[in-house]
Amino acid sequence: MWHIAKRELYDNLNSLRFALATVLLLALMLTNAVLYLREHPARAQAYHNAAADAVKTLKSRSTNLYSLATGGPGDLHKSPSPLRFCAEGDEAFLPTRASGANYGQRIANMPPVWRLFYPQETPNLRNIRPDFTTLDWAFIVGYVLSFVALLFTFDSISGELERGTLRLTLANPIPRHVVLVGKFLGAFISINIPFAVAVLMNLLLISTADTVQLNAEAWGRLGILYGIIILYTCLFIALGLLISAAVRESGVSLVVLLLIWVSFVIFIPNTLASIGSRTAVPIAYMEFWTQRMQLADEARAAYRNKYGDSQTTPSVHVLGEYVTTEAEEYERFNEAYLKQQIAQGKRARAITRISPTAIIQRLFESFAGTGFERHLQFIENVQRYAREYREFVVDTDRADPESLHVVGIQEGMSQKPVNPDAIPKFKDTLSLNRDFNTAAMDLLLLVLFLGVLASGAYLAFVRLEI
Amino acid sequence: MLMTLIRRELLDNLMTFRFAAAVFITLLLVVANTIVLLKDYEQRLTAYNKAVNESHQELREEKTYSGYAGALIIHRPPNPLSIFNLGLDKQVGNKIEVYHAFIPTMWDAEKHGADNPFLNLFTSIDIVLVFQGVLSLLALIFAYDALAGERERGTLRLVLTHPIQRGYILFAKYISAMLCLLVPLLISLLLSIILLTTSTTMSLRADDFLRIGGIVLTSLLYVSLFYLIGLCISAMTRRTSTALMLCMFVWGVLVLVYPNLILTAVDIVPQPNTQISVYNQIKQMWEEWDRENKRFLRNDAVLGPLSRNGEGWGFRLKGVEYSFAPSEDKPSTLLYFYQTSFYAGKIGAESEPQVPLVQDYYGFYNRETINTVQRTWLVRKPALEAIYIQPANLGRMLLRFSPGGLYDAATEAWAGTDLDGIQDFFSTVQRYRRAVVDYFYDKKIFESRQWFAADKGTADWDALPQFSFHRSDTGINAKRALPDMLLLLTMNVILFTVIMLIFIKSEV
Repeated sequence: MWHIAKRELYDNLNSLRFALATVLLLALMLTNAVLYLREHPARAQAYHNAAADAVKTLKSRSTNLYSLATGGPGDLHKSPSPLRFCAEGDEAFLPTRASGANYGQRIANMPPVWRLFYPQETPNLRNIRPDFTTLDWAFIVGYVLSFVALLFTFDSISGELERGTLRLTLANPIPRHVVLVGKFLGAFISINIPFAVAVLMNLLLISTADTVQLNAEAWGRLGILYGIIILYTCLFIALGLLISAAVRESGVSLVVLLLIWVSFVIFIPNTLASIGSRTAVPIAYMEFWTQRMQLADEARAAYRNKYGDSQTTPSVHVLGEYVTTEAEEYERFNEAYLKQQIAQGKRARAITRISPTAIIQRLFESFAGTGFERHLQFIENVQRYAREYREFVVDTDRADPESLHVVGIQEGMSQKPVNPDAIPKFKDTLSLNRDFNTAAMDLLLLVLFLGVLASGAYLAFVRLEI
Repeated sequence: MLMTLIRRELLDNLMTFRFAAAVFITLLLVVANTIVLLKDYEQRLTAYNKAVNESHQELREEKTYSGYAGALIIHRPPNPLSIFNLGLDKQVGNKIEVYHAFIPTMWDAEKHGADNPFLNLFTSIDIVLVFQGVLSLLALIFAYDALAGERERGTLRLVLTHPIQRGYILFAKYISAMLCLLVPLLISLLLSIILLTTSTTMSLRADDFLRIGGIVLTSLLYVSLFYLIGLCISAMTRRTSTALMLCMFVWGVLVLVYPNLILTAVDIVPQPNTQISVYNQIKQMWEEWDRENKRFLRNDAVLGPLSRNGEGWGFRLKGVEYSFAPSEDKPSTLLYFYQTSFYAGKIGAESEPQVPLVQDYYGFYNRETINTVQRTWLVRKPALEAIYIQPANLGRMLLRFSPGGLYDAATEAWAGTDLDGIQDFFSTVQRYRRAVVDYFYDKKIFESRQWFAADKGTADWDALPQFSFHRSDTGINAKRALPDMLLLLTMNVILFTVIMLIFIKSEV
C-alpha cells in the first residue's frame, strides 16, 4: 500500500499541478496574514476605545441610582475575534453593538426606564466597492483547496484506466481496496504538503508580529480547525475518486466534478439559502417600527385615560409601574422581532447544510468566533448582562432603607451615590464549549458525508471493469 | 470547405456529454436564480412604493414650511435590470432626505426598511455572475482539447493533408464552439426573460431590451475570450492533460482568486486620512456662520441670542410653544449640522409686533445657511470623493486586469447599476434640492410667517416642485459600457492573433 501511495506521491510532486497549487496557496495565505496584521490591531483598538467610552459614561451616571435606572448601561460592543483571519464570517454585514438606553423621549413628563435595543445598521452601508469574498481561511479551504483536491484526483483512476497502467498494477497480487487507499493517501499527502507549508507561513507571520498575540485557547481552536480542514480535504478526495472510478473518462470526470463543485460552492450556499429564507419571513422593518410606535401610543393613551384627567399627580407607585411596564413591553417587542430575524437566518442556513462547503464555512465561523453563531452568543451575553444590571439596580435600591423602592421614579429610589466600581460591566466572552455544541451537528454531517463518499468510491472501484 | 469544417466541429461538440452538462447546469442556475432575484426585486419594489406613500403623507402632515426638515424624503426605486447585474443597486442606501441645510450625497442615504442583517450573509447571485463563473468554465472545457486533442489523436495531421489553410481550421473551430456556447447562453436568457415578463410587477420597457441586448453582446465577448484563452493553452501544449490542468488553474486564478485577492489587497494600501482635517474645516465654516448669525441678533434688540444647543431659542416671543429636534452630526460623511428643525405653535397676540422681525431673521438665517452649505460643498465634495470613490475606483481599476472584472463592469454599465448609474440618481436629487430652494426663494417662503407658524395659513405642499427620476438613456449606458467592451474585444483580437501565430508555426 505504501508503495502505491509513494508512487502516487512522486507522480504528483513532479507535476505541474503541484507547483501551481503551491504557488496559489502560498500567495493566498500570505495575503491573508498581511491583511490580518494590518487590520486587526486597528479593529481591536477601536473596540477598546468604544468599550472604555461606554464604561466612562456608565461611571458618569453613578452619581445616583436613578440615572442608572433610566439611562441604562449605554452601548454594548461586540469584541472582535482574534481569529478573524480564519473566517471573516461577513462581520461587515452584522451589527457591532447592542444598546441599552432610553433615547431621550419623555413619557408622562419623565425620562423613561432604559430598554435594550438592537440596532440594525451595519458598517457596510457606505461601502461602494465591488462585492467580493474576503480571503480568509474559510475561502481558501472551502473554495480553493476543494478545487485543487478535485484537480488532483479527477484522473487518478480514469487516467490510469485510459493509459492502461491500472491493468498493470492490478495484475500484481494486491487487493483492490489497497490500491484505492494507496491512491487516497498519495493524493492526500500531496495536497497537504503545499497547504501545510502555506498555513505554516501564514501562522509564522501572524505569530511573529508583536501587534497581535494569540493565546493558548486561540491555538487550540486553530488546531481544531486544522482537523476540520483535513476532514474536508479527505471528503473532496473521496468525491474525486468516486467520480473518477464511476465515469472512466478523464474529460467527462472533470466536467462532472466541476459541476458538482459549482453547485456545492456557489449554488447551494447562496441560492438555496435565499429560497429557504422565504419560508420564514419576518415583518418588514418599517412595519415593525410602526407597530412599536402604536404599542407605545396605546400604553400612553391607556395611562392618560386612567390618570391623565385627574388634577392630582398619581402616586409614585402608579407612575413607577407605568414606566417599568412601558420599558418592558418595548423591549419584549424588540426581542420578538430579533427572534423572527434570527429564525429566518437559521432557516436559510439550515437548508445549505447539504453542501459540504457551507458546512465548512459554518464550522470555521463557529470555531473562529465570527459570524452568525457568534452574534447569537453576543446577543445572549447582552441579555444576560441586562439582567445582571437590572438586578444590581434593584438590589442597591433595596439596600437603602430610606428608599421607597419604586424603580424608575426619581422620588421613589435611593438617593445615595453608587460606587462606580460596583456597577456590573459588560464583558463579551466566548465559550469554546458552546462553540462545540453548535458545531457538533455540522461535524457529524461532515463525517457522514465523508463516509458516504468514501464507501461510494470503494464500491465504484471494486466493481470497476478494466 | 469552411462549411464542412464548421459542420464537423459542430457535430463533434454537440454530441458530447459536456455540451449536455453545460446546457443543463446553466439553465438550472439561471432559472433558479432568476426566480430568487425576481422575488427579491418585487419585495424591494413593494417596500419602495410603500415608503413613497408614507413619505408623501408625512410631508402633508407638516403645517409649517420649516417642518419639511426630515419629512421631504426621496426614495430610490429598485432597478429592474438589477436581476442581470445587481451591482450597487441593493448595497447603497435608497432613502434620502432633501433639505436646504445640506447637499444630499449617496453617503447620506439610508435604507428604508433595513433588510434582515442575518440574510446579508448570503451573496445574491445575479445572472451575470452565473455566466461569469459557469460559462467561462464551459468555454475552457470546450477549448482545452480542441488542438491538443486532435494532435494527440493524430486527426490534425489528417486534416492538414487537405489543401486547407491553417487559419481556416482555427476559424472553423472558433465559430462552431461559439455557436455551441451560445446555445446555453441564449436559452437561459430566454427563459429568464419569459419569467420576468410573466411577473406582474416587473415592467420592462423597450429600451430595457436594448440594454439586455448589450449585456448579451458583452457576454459573448467574455465567453469568446475564455474560449480563446483555452485555445491558446491548447495550441501551446502537446498533451491534453497538461492543457486541461493549465486551463483549470487559469480559470481558478482569473475567476476565483484574482478578484478576491486584489480587492482584499486594496485594503492593505494605506489610505490618506484627510477626513478629520476636512471635517474640522467644515466645522470652522459653520462656526463663522454662527458668528454672523450672532452679530445679526446682537444688533436686534428684540430677538435674543441664539446658540447651537438651542438654549437661546425663543426670541422672547410670548405664548409660543416650540418643539425642537436637533440633527446629528456625521463626521463619517463630513456633515456638520447647524440647522435644527422646529415648530412654533400659536403665536400670542402680545408677540405679534415681533413677528416681522422673526420673519426677517429667518430670511437672513436661511439665506446664510444655504450660502454656507455651498461653501462647505466645495470642500466636502472632493473630500468625499477621496474617501469613498477613489479606493472603490482603485479596486475597480485593478479588477479590470481580469476578464471577469471587465465583464462585470460592462454589464453593470448596461444595467445601470454601476457607480455612475447610482450617481445619476443622487445628482438628480441634488438638482431637486436646488429646485426646492429656488422655489422657496421665489415664493419668499424662507421669510414668510408660514415658515415657523401655522396660525395664519399653512404650508402648501402640493405647489412644491415634484421629484422625478428616469434612468439614463440607453445611449449613455452604451457609452459607459463601451470602454470595457472595447478592452474585451481587443483582448479577443490579440489572443486570436497569438493563437494563429502559434498554430501556424507549430509542427504537427
